Amino acid sequence: MDNVRSFCIIAHIDHGKSTLADRLIQHCGGVADRDFRDQILDSMDIERERGITIKSNTVTLDYTARDGKTYKLNLIDTPGHVDFSHEVRRSLMSCEGALLLVDASQGVEAQTMANLYLALEHDLEMVPVINKIDLPAADVDRVKEEIEEDLGLDADEAVLCSAKTGKGIEDVLEAIVERLPPPEGDPSAPLQALIFDAQYDPYRGAVLLVRVMEGTLRPRQSILLMHSDKSFNVEEVGLLQIKKVATKELAAGMVGYVIAGVKAVSDIAIGDTITDTAEPAADPLPGYKEAKPVVFSSVYPMSTDEYTDLTKALEKLKLNDAALTYEKDSSVALGFGFRCGFLGLLHLEVVQERLRREYDLSLILSAPSVRYRVTLTDGKEMWVDNPSLYPDRGSIEAAEEPFIKAAVMMPERYVGAVMELCRERRGENTTFSYLAVGRVELTSEMPLAEVLFDFYDRLKSVTQGYGSFDYEMLDYRPTDLVKVDILVNGEAVDALAQLVHTEKARARALHYCERLADTIPKQQFKIAIQGAVGGDIIARKTINAYRKDVTAKCYGGDISRKRKLLEKQKKGKKRMKMVGSVEIPQSAFVAVLKTDRD
Amino acid sequence: MSQFNSDSVPDRESGTETETETGTGAGLYIHVPFCTSVCPYCDFAVTIAGQERRRGWVGGVVREAEMYSDVGLAFDTVYLGGGTPSSLDREQLAQIVDGLSRNLDVERQALLFLEANPEDVSFPNASAWRDVGVHFVSLGVQSFDDSDLAFLGRRHSAADARSAVEILRETGFSTVSVDLIYGLDGRSENHWRRQLDLAVDLGADHLSCYQLTVHEETVLGRRVANGAVTELGDEGLSELFFLTHEHLANAGFEGYEVSNFSSAPEHRSAHNQKYWDHTPYLGLGPSAHSFAGGRRWWNRRKVRLWQNALTQGTLPVDGEERPSREQLLLEALMLGFRTAAGVNLDRLHDRFAIDLLAENEDVVDRLCASGHIEVDGSSLRPTLAGLAIADTLARSFSA
Repeated sequence: MDNVRSFCIIAHIDHGKSTLADRLIQHCGGVADRDFRDQILDSMDIERERGITIKSNTVTLDYTARDGKTYKLNLIDTPGHVDFSHEVRRSLMSCEGALLLVDASQGVEAQTMANLYLALEHDLEMVPVINKIDLPAADVDRVKEEIEEDLGLDADEAVLCSAKTGKGIEDVLEAIVERLPPPEGDPSAPLQALIFDAQYDPYRGAVLLVRVMEGTLRPRQSILLMHSDKSFNVEEVGLLQIKKVATKELAAGMVGYVIAGVKAVSDIAIGDTITDTAEPAADPLPGYKEAKPVVFSSVYPMSTDEYTDLTKALEKLKLNDAALTYEKDSSVALGFGFRCGFLGLLHLEVVQERLRREYDLSLILSAPSVRYRVTLTDGKEMWVDNPSLYPDRGSIEAAEEPFIKAAVMMPERYVGAVMELCRERRGENTTFSYLAVGRVELTSEMPLAEVLFDFYDRLKSVTQGYGSFDYEMLDYRPTDLVKVDILVNGEAVDALAQLVHTEKARARALHYCERLADTIPKQQFKIAIQGAVGGDIIARKTINAYRKDVTAKCYGGDISRKRKLLEKQKKGKKRMKMVGSVEIPQSAFVAVLKTDRD
Repeated sequence: MSQFNSDSVPDRESGTETETETGTGAGLYIHVPFCTSVCPYCDFAVTIAGQERRRGWVGGVVREAEMYSDVGLAFDTVYLGGGTPSSLDREQLAQIVDGLSRNLDVERQALLFLEANPEDVSFPNASAWRDVGVHFVSLGVQSFDDSDLAFLGRRHSAADARSAVEILRETGFSTVSVDLIYGLDGRSENHWRRQLDLAVDLGADHLSCYQLTVHEETVLGRRVANGAVTELGDEGLSELFFLTHEHLANAGFEGYEVSNFSSAPEHRSAHNQKYWDHTPYLGLGPSAHSFAGGRRWWNRRKVRLWQNALTQGTLPVDGEERPSREQLLLEALMLGFRTAAGVNLDRLHDRFAIDLLAENEDVVDRLCASGHIEVDGSSLRPTLAGLAIADTLARSFSA
């Protein structure tokens, strides 16, 4: 066990974490050069495209150190986005140490600090690594200063490297071997293995990624999942060396995978402890803080016959995305779907994208909502995230909405514009401080709901792309809430209803009316699109009728061509959702409900 | 010279509807692909060709008729369309008519239809047509205005058009029909009313009023694409559609189909009616379409390819389909709602074993309430507003 090291890399987004991981793998020969794809741990297409890591991936490397010994290095790649801090936590529990990666030109950023605190909470040994030293803008001395002052780490111990060019990579590996402690644990003690992730294999069922803390995992062993109280027989254990490599055992200190014929997704809880059925451990490992969803949206399949597929897809996604929550929901306009809870807007988009790409599903998502706390006149309290469950106005005593502490980092010249944006978004206690010369961090206490509606877009636009945004949940504060209904020819479209702050109701309603008016095609009657609060109409748009669609000529006997045209239209009509007698194409829902982030 | 018996044509006074309602006979269509010049808006299969190719085409049609001698259809209408059938000379016309009667079961009382261009109409030509038995002449006037005709690239003048109608009237065809085109940009509604009035005043028995349709692959399409010509918008075209129907109704014409108007039931186009009610028809000539025995097929579009096939002794068929029950039903609705008579529910029930009303109660209620259809005995009739959205009506029903 002395020759095992388990570590992760923590960093601000864009500081080169995935590139460093790639380089470490390549250096250890974890993958042949010709097979090498950049950012090999980011296996999902969407991660590769966006350059972000969403899911933790794990790899075990064989490294022969300068001392002549060969070490097994377990590298656990962690997500770098605020929405995914629960994944970071889980990864950290499987490690003894962490590389704290800092960009030589950008320096220490807010997120670097947040992640450092997380790592310190878990008692990890830290190795600061200054990356991108090849860049012309690299300022190693300044970054060292920040590491000492802001992070309180010994900057002399910082390893310098360029993951891009490969310079200093061996120093990084040596630091891992020399400075990080080997895992503790007794291979002959009662088994305690932490499930920190899971994948789904269509042929073999769930593949559990585990860190063995105590004892040893072997094939044919009977195991018990302590939390869900289910027993299985181990079929195979092994190491994740890009591909799965089966081994005879996984002893205390090792990170690897377990296949145990687990078919039902519901049997698995990420964070659960595996123990031996015959000789169980006294207690499960201390659990994670459960990640709580803060953004909610109803997800409907485009075509209602894909509902079963959606159900299965969500089950599987849930398997390796523990933070995703969902329950059945239904809409008059859109049929059966699910009310899903997400950790944030990015998480929502990632789930949507994964459902689309990995499960080939076309979806309609209702407008994202936060979860409100509502006190009723009879003193009862309730949580509401679904506009259709919003109680009658008369029975509401008070409502509260979640606030966040928003942090925006940007060049100094955009401060005015961003302060104005925060004011528009009901920001309170907006202040700013200089991070460095010319660089400003602005913080504002803001309703989370305000971030859900085109905030990223506006921020990008007012800072010309230079602003970066981060937030943490703060508390619940009183709010003045109304339910905005969207009516099409007098009929409320339930999927378009929203809970909105009173001040924003009219603008939001008008925005929806305009988008619908642009995307619903003309029909043979006039269509009124209205936004309403209670019985009051607060916004209105009209789509004029067409009076003629028949083509003049239909003779000469070519009936087929005309019929085919009609068939095509009729097929299109099947994908239309009927609201009263109005046909609304799905594209209208998609256009209206887009979160405006692209 | 062989001829169809023109004496047996129902005369104007008799007013019987038997021939124009769903007859038992099939329709025979002959596509004459030749024009003296190609109109800038035309997307039909036409070509400008010398006498030699015209002779070749005549032979081809007769050969094609021979190949269909066992088709098992008895024809009671024969329609020469194009193209410009009136550009065929007397001899060619006679050969065609003769070749058709020799090889196919053309009923003795079959009605012969001919499309003609005003510049081809003269007393000698008209009497030649009368002699081979033409009963219905469809005259491609398009407009009685010289600047319109120039825009449309027509070879005749407004004066030619007027005199052509007069010559046809005097020669004594059962039905003289005038084709007009509306929707030319920049023309007032009154201008269009004048065209309609002129046709009525000249004594036309039947009018076909088509909206100018811009096809991409035409000279006009290119002019629109490069901005030389602007298209009249949907609103303007809708206005003209309603204006046409209302104006002609006031003049005593029945708009019995989206684009067709007759001064009396016997002047309706008995041949076109067959397309609208699923009566079988056989099409000969390039690009001609056929429908018989539940099958649709269509000929090669290019004259040369059509001709080559015939020379090699094979049918010049380019493609075919066998519409499903659902497809035929959709066609029946699509075509039915194009006609003022609407969809015959009894016939629909007999053919498809479907009770359309019972299965579409909501749709019927909605469309009745909005004034687009009326239930009239066993017919589901479109109102004028309904006729204008016949495509929507056809799409609205589920069956």
